[in-house]
Amino acid sequence: MVDTTKNTKVFTSYGVNTSKTLTPEMAAKLISKAKRPLLMVGTLTLEPEMLDRVVKISKAANLPIAATGSSMAVLADKDVDAKYINAHMLGFYLTDPSWPGLDGNGNYDMVIVIGFKKYYINQVLSAAKNFSNLKTIAIERGYIQNSTMSFGNLSKADHIAALDEVIDLL
Amino acid sequence: MSKLTTGSFSIEDLESVQITINNIVGAAKEAAEEKGKELVKAGPTLLPGLESYRDDWNFKLLDRYEPVITPMCDQCCYCTYGPCDLSGNKRGACGIDMMGHNGREFFLRVITGTACHAAHGRHLLDHLIETFGEDLPLNLGQSNVLTPNITISTGLSPKTLGEVKPAMEYVEDQLTQLLATVHAGQESAEIDYDSKALFSGSLDHVGMEISDIVQVTAYDFPRADPEAPLVEIGMGTIDKSKPFLCVIGHNVAGVTYMMDYMEDNNLTDKMEIAGLCCTAIDLTRYKEADRRPPYAKVIGSMAKELKVIRSGMPDVIVVDEQCVRGDIVPEAQKLMIPVIASNPKIMYGLPNKTDADVDETIEELKSGKIPGCVMLDYDKLGELCIKLTMEMGPIRDASGITAIPTDEEFKNWVTKCADCGACMIACPEELDIPEAMGFAKEGDYSYLEKLHDQCIGCRRCEQVCKKEIPILNIIEKASQKQISEEKGLMRAGRGQVSDAEIRAEGLNLVMGTTPGIIAIIGCPNYPEGTKDVYYIAEEFLKRNFIVVTTGCGAMDIGMFKDEDGKTLYERFPGGFECGGLANIGSCVSNAHITGAAEKVAAIFAQRTLEGNLAEIADYILNRVGACGLAWGAFSQKASSIGTGCNILGIPAVLGPHSSKYRRALIAKTYEEDKWKVYDARNGQEMAIPPAPEFLLTTAETWQEAIPMMAKACIRVSDNSMGRSIKLTHWMELHRKYLGAEPEDWWKFVRNEADLPLATREALLKKLETEHGWEIDWKRRKVISGPKIKFDVSAQPTNLKRLCKEA
Repeated sequence: MVDTTKNTKVFTSYGVNTSKTLTPEMAAKLISKAKRPLLMVGTLTLEPEMLDRVVKISKAANLPIAATGSSMAVLADKDVDAKYINAHMLGFYLTDPSWPGLDGNGNYDMVIVIGFKKYYINQVLSAAKNFSNLKTIAIERGYIQNSTMSFGNLSKADHIAALDEVIDLL
Repeated sequence: MSKLTTGSFSIEDLESVQITINNIVGAAKEAAEEKGKELVKAGPTLLPGLESYRDDWNFKLLDRYEPVITPMCDQCCYCTYGPCDLSGNKRGACGIDMMGHNGREFFLRVITGTACHAAHGRHLLDHLIETFGEDLPLNLGQSNVLTPNITISTGLSPKTLGEVKPAMEYVEDQLTQLLATVHAGQESAEIDYDSKALFSGSLDHVGMEISDIVQVTAYDFPRADPEAPLVEIGMGTIDKSKPFLCVIGHNVAGVTYMMDYMEDNNLTDKMEIAGLCCTAIDLTRYKEADRRPPYAKVIGSMAKELKVIRSGMPDVIVVDEQCVRGDIVPEAQKLMIPVIASNPKIMYGLPNKTDADVDETIEELKSGKIPGCVMLDYDKLGELCIKLTMEMGPIRDASGITAIPTDEEFKNWVTKCADCGACMIACPEELDIPEAMGFAKEGDYSYLEKLHDQCIGCRRCEQVCKKEIPILNIIEKASQKQISEEKGLMRAGRGQVSDAEIRAEGLNLVMGTTPGIIAIIGCPNYPEGTKDVYYIAEEFLKRNFIVVTTGCGAMDIGMFKDEDGKTLYERFPGGFECGGLANIGSCVSNAHITGAAEKVAAIFAQRTLEGNLAEIADYILNRVGACGLAWGAFSQKASSIGTGCNILGIPAVLGPHSSKYRRALIAKTYEEDKWKVYDARNGQEMAIPPAPEFLLTTAETWQEAIPMMAKACIRVSDNSMGRSIKLTHWMELHRKYLGAEPEDWWKFVRNEADLPLATREALLKKLETEHGWEIDWKRRKVISGPKIKFDVSAQPTNLKRLCKEA
């Protein structure tokens, strides 16, 4: 019999490209392999449970932090390499190959985002998605469709547990 | 045929027949063009078209402030060639790419907002000319420069209602041209959509100016009055023992007839009239020029619309236009609240009773035979709404209709929650409703109560709840105490900034010794609740900035009190002065905010307004430290207001939701070439600091927005005292809200006198050790290091044509 169930790609030019889903194991692997990664941190990091994980991830993988929103307020004294920058500006600069980066050493090849409201980071990342080759990894509680890869929508407890798994694997 | 403009003529052969022509299409514009030729001094862009600002000004702005496109979705579904997948900046079947398509999307929002204000202005202008006549003199307070936005665009300075007509016609003409460009196969370059959007923004401020000057004039609104009366605001201010008429929208024309009817029939103390959104702001300005004790009240912003209806408080709802929810009729119908549509822009499919007998219509509405009606005859509207309210009040009171559940129902609903999380995914604010429901099951309602202020009352959660829990009603039930305490004060909209106020502040603004103008405008789609704008306003007021407000933002900052029970409007003066909190008025009053900046250039610096947008904007960008904040911007109008500020060189910070407008304007602070201007004295290039570093961007939190705005007030022209004051505020605020010193403070330093006084010594040390600057420690002076030089007489400009050598 002819297999009529194989190719289900919609036969028109349209479609919606959403991010691939990500396991904690894949996340850890991708982060470890990146040549010049940046941890982009939003203001939901103000919650102590989140802050603890963000600091651990940064330290475990030696990731510099772009402290966006008002996350710098809690990161300033955590002995991490964090610098404040506005998220929308960062989203723009990441699409510019000649941006010197936060440390003057050039743009990044991977951005890991955490600590944002879904609607905001999705919009900010849509610039990178459409106008650059940057790889973006979302380890958020919500599914971030405009990142390259993302966790799915999670409960609060599952999200924290997933972050702990990432930390263990780094 | 002879070329008539306006007036009357008679045909001789026909005895006793006279044909009167009130208006010939195009004639007013023609007259304006003729008048333009008579102007002794005028800039190059009188009655500008789509291309006029493009090369001389807009492209200069867009070269530094680059469009940042953040598409909302991958597809373009605009014509029948598609849908086309444009992701990765692909081109669609028509040839447009993702950049161009999203430039068009943003532009479409700007012209929609512009059209909204222009149509509002046209409605008011025609109605007021019909009511008061063409010759009613414009009366806006103690000013000679009455209409800076109109004058810049058209060269005209109207002095009567009738003389406003050519400017109105000009805006409508250009809007048609602009709308045509969104058709498939028209403009496709993103950068040209940006230029057109900027142009549309400038027109928006003309449309808004028209709307506000005619209503201030004809309705006796406060006229540049810093002591306009304080008005009650909040859901808790409504006395529910009285019948309550609730008005929603932006166009106050119809409401004035209701208020007149109340006054004529001595009903002002026997019923409540209060509004939501800008109709509320403008009804509290009505006849307040002489500061009579106000009786009309403000309930709040658009986010309160559904909450108020669900409370069951209104006995009648009247809607006019703009920012009115689409579900008001079905929601009101459930609670026996008749809805009257008073403006042809929103008719809701309701029966039109304009020609019907008022008393018969009242009977139909009372009996519930019809859920509401359209009423476009304002005399009848006034009578209908007031009589109906007086009759519905006791009827609805007796039946005690509300959507708020009883204690028992509330507990039952809460128990039903299955913690599936669908509501949180549906919530545009991403509120953790499941968590709050979980705590409520255990008897702790504080989490639900906390959601009340953050919730924008959209009911998306209810529609996805598999258990059909009326989630909004549950939140409101848990917040009854909080709602009853929602009582604040807002200063009635004062109208434009007077020439005298500009003269008093002009020098301080240009030198920087007044640290800046902070304009808090716009809608209530806040990320964390209404109190955000209160915190922002308070911080800047305490630091002696001039804070101006309009619209929903003006309302929300009046909703909160300090420990002494005082609102910001009671704590700070209402003038355009250092530490002043000036509520300018409704959305359309935003034209007076750009107007104030324009007047600094015109009155203080004697620059020509007529046809001279680029020069005025250049002056503002380089010398007037102002920054807008549209923290909850949701509407297309907010995008046109902001874009109208942007073309004039005024930056604006938006809340995180506004990333969904799809386009920001952000500069690359690291590209030194972008940070140069000419010195108009000799045409030589001079390096400037990277400020402002954006014209339009978003902040994630109010704590982030505050230092961003303080920084965005830094200008090239600041003298040392001004720069020192501005750096002091920015650096303190950065430390306060972002926990550390800003990284780039040194880029703004030209010499030791620019440094904040209190930390000068320590900062000099840092300049030496961290940035390699040479310091003469005996004289405490900078010897070498700064990339930018300070020259008190330099005349910074982005326009080569303004330079002497040119």
